[in-house]
Amino acid sequence: MMPVVLNGSSIKAKSEEAGVAVSVKAVNMVYDGVHAVRSASFDLEAGKFLTILGPSGSGKTTLLRLIAGFQRPTSGEIFINGAAVSAVPPHRRSIGMVFQKLALFPHMTAAENVAFPLKMRRSDARDIPARVERYLDMVRLGGYGARRVHELSGGQQQRVAIARALVFEPDLLLLDEPLAALDRKLREEMQLEFRRIQRELGVTTINVTHDQREALVVSDEIIVMDGGEIQQKARPAETYRSPSNAFVANFIGVTNFLDAQGGERRAIRAEKIRIAATRDGLAGTDMIVEGLVVDAIFEGERVVYEVRVASLGDALLRVFDHDPSAHSQLEAGSAVCLGWAASDVLEFKP
Amino acid sequence: MRAAKSAYPLTWRIMDALEAFAAFVWPARFGRAIPWLMLAPALLLVGLLVLGLWLIGDASLRTLDTSTFLMSETYTLANYRRAFTESLFAVVAWRSLAGSLMVTAATLILAFPYAYVMVRTSSPVIRKLLLIALFLPFFIGQVVRAYGWLIILGNQGMVNEALSLVGIAPIRLLYNYWAVLFGLVQYMLPFAVLMLAPALTAIPEELEAAAGSLGADWLRTFRHVVLPLARPGLVGAGLVVLTLSLTDFAMPAILGGGSQDFIANAIYDQFFRTSDQGLGSTLALLLVATGSLLVGLVFTLFGAGTLAMGRARQ
Ligand SMILES: Nc1ncnc2c1ncn2[C@@H]1O[C@H](COP(=O)(O)OP(=O)(O)OP(=O)(O)O)[C@@H](O)[C@H]1O
Ligand SMILES: [Mg+2]
Repeated sequence: MMPVVLNGSSIKAKSEEAGVAVSVKAVNMVYDGVHAVRSASFDLEAGKFLTILGPSGSGKTTLLRLIAGFQRPTSGEIFINGAAVSAVPPHRRSIGMVFQKLALFPHMTAAENVAFPLKMRRSDARDIPARVERYLDMVRLGGYGARRVHELSGGQQQRVAIARALVFEPDLLLLDEPLAALDRKLREEMQLEFRRIQRELGVTTINVTHDQREALVVSDEIIVMDGGEIQQKARPAETYRSPSNAFVANFIGVTNFLDAQGGERRAIRAEKIRIAATRDGLAGTDMIVEGLVVDAIFEGERVVYEVRVASLGDALLRVFDHDPSAHSQLEAGSAVCLGWAASDVLEFKP
Repeated sequence: MRAAKSAYPLTWRIMDALEAFAAFVWPARFGRAIPWLMLAPALLLVGLLVLGLWLIGDASLRTLDTSTFLMSETYTLANYRRAFTESLFAVVAWRSLAGSLMVTAATLILAFPYAYVMVRTSSPVIRKLLLIALFLPFFIGQVVRAYGWLIILGNQGMVNEALSLVGIAPIRLLYNYWAVLFGLVQYMLPFAVLMLAPALTAIPEELEAAAGSLGADWLRTFRHVVLPLARPGLVGAGLVVLTLSLTDFAMPAILGGGSQDFIANAIYDQFFRTSDQGLGSTLALLLVATGSLLVGLVFTLFGAGTLAMGRARQ
């Protein structure tokens, strides 16, 4: 059992320990007929923030539930701090989880919710109130402890759920799309909040989302999943710059797929293409094609052009113009030239 | 002008006329009366009930003249005195009260796991089987079921036949208090399960998973999460079982064999054996009072809000 420490020194000690916190080895999960997770393997270093990113139904929740211990893998093994945990029930794993629907206890106040794991883990009753207060402060809910769950706003409930998952200083924090239900502004605020708290406590975290922006903003590492399979595990910038396959390239960022050459698929990011009325405006690019503007969407800080390119089999390319006020906008229907550097082209083996 | 006319086609005009007619027959301000109108049948029934209670109250204050078999003209509290002083009635009252409390406790304890498994099982087959097993007794009816127990538990019944095979002398299983309670529990179980199931369905499964990940084993999850959240269902089911078994007639009559009368049986005897409407009415009123008192007690203990009425718990 974790010792009750109020000054946070044990927390620091934990983050300084190097080593692998979570290790997933060849894990498969088959529900009757549905292969939800396919031979997933990865290691996660202690203190890191990992995001599992993937479309709906790609097996993200299933992977998280396996780690939390709500389900047993059909095959394979999961190690937490070096110990195999398949036979360990959830209440004996030191894991804090924030559920997609929060799963706060409606018959308790905010403070009682946060105190629940401490009571269940038989912490010293005298320390509980101070500790609950400290964690409520940490999520900026000092003074809200006496409120019933239904008396709190969505964002406040979110924060109670986070405090409840962290208050017992778990070895591992699991987040199952807890921000999905929030509006965009609040979501972006909470993303940064997550990052701040995670850095402050140094707790190893696995976050699930299908919001690529969130994944890029908050993570140390990103796992992209599709159809139950891990497609890539890399740092955010690396995932963005060199996606390991066409799926990842398509899922993260806006990617234009060009013609296939010798079985290889080639792609170019929307922001790597430059657009101009004439070839003269494209100095410094070595691939130039001509096209017709189909649509020009003004988004404030940028203009998104959709350009049909006859020489690429009538492909519709999306192009970002990040400095729309520098020159006049190109109208739909006008003929334009697109240019990019050959070194920016992404190539994928089939 | 012609253009305007064609823009206002005949069908529209017919609709307008119909609407105007409807508004004439049923002006919008009548709309406020609709809820009351829909309540009317229920209010009428409650009114009849109150009228009946009034008549019973009147009868309870008159004594039976055993020579003429007529009710007395003057009011007297003699029936109440009898009801409170004669030991027979005290025994019957105590038997019914204690019995119904025990039946309620036993029924809730048995119904809870049944309802829980029925709600939580991931197998549709098991859920269907549990539902069928629950509803089958409803179709059979209370009296037939009680006779069924006579066949099974009687001196020459199946249980005693089986016991004699292993050389045990017949045991008197029927016509005692426990047989009545047993029959009542079996009769009440479906009611309790049906009232508990929606309450348990309303508890998200994720809450139990959350409690697990926060360090609670199943027992503590049950104690700190499931049980408190199921309270409205438990209170509702408890009230139904308590009042139904407190006022039950058939089980004590059939499985008790006349030796285990509940209040309802005593009332029946007064009305149809002794023809003492006065005393029968008194006992009936006392039963109503006891039942109301119990319900009131439960509400003050657990709060009417536990039935999830009002908006407080949303
Ligand atoms: N209890 C279950 N029984 C059967 N199949 C299931 C069960 N849970 C999930 N699945 C299936 O497993 C696959 C992966 O589901 P999972 O919930 O892990 O997806 P996800 O990536 O979390 O999706 P989302 O983003 O929509 O939450 C889906 O095809 C789903 O239908
Ligand atoms: Mg999911």
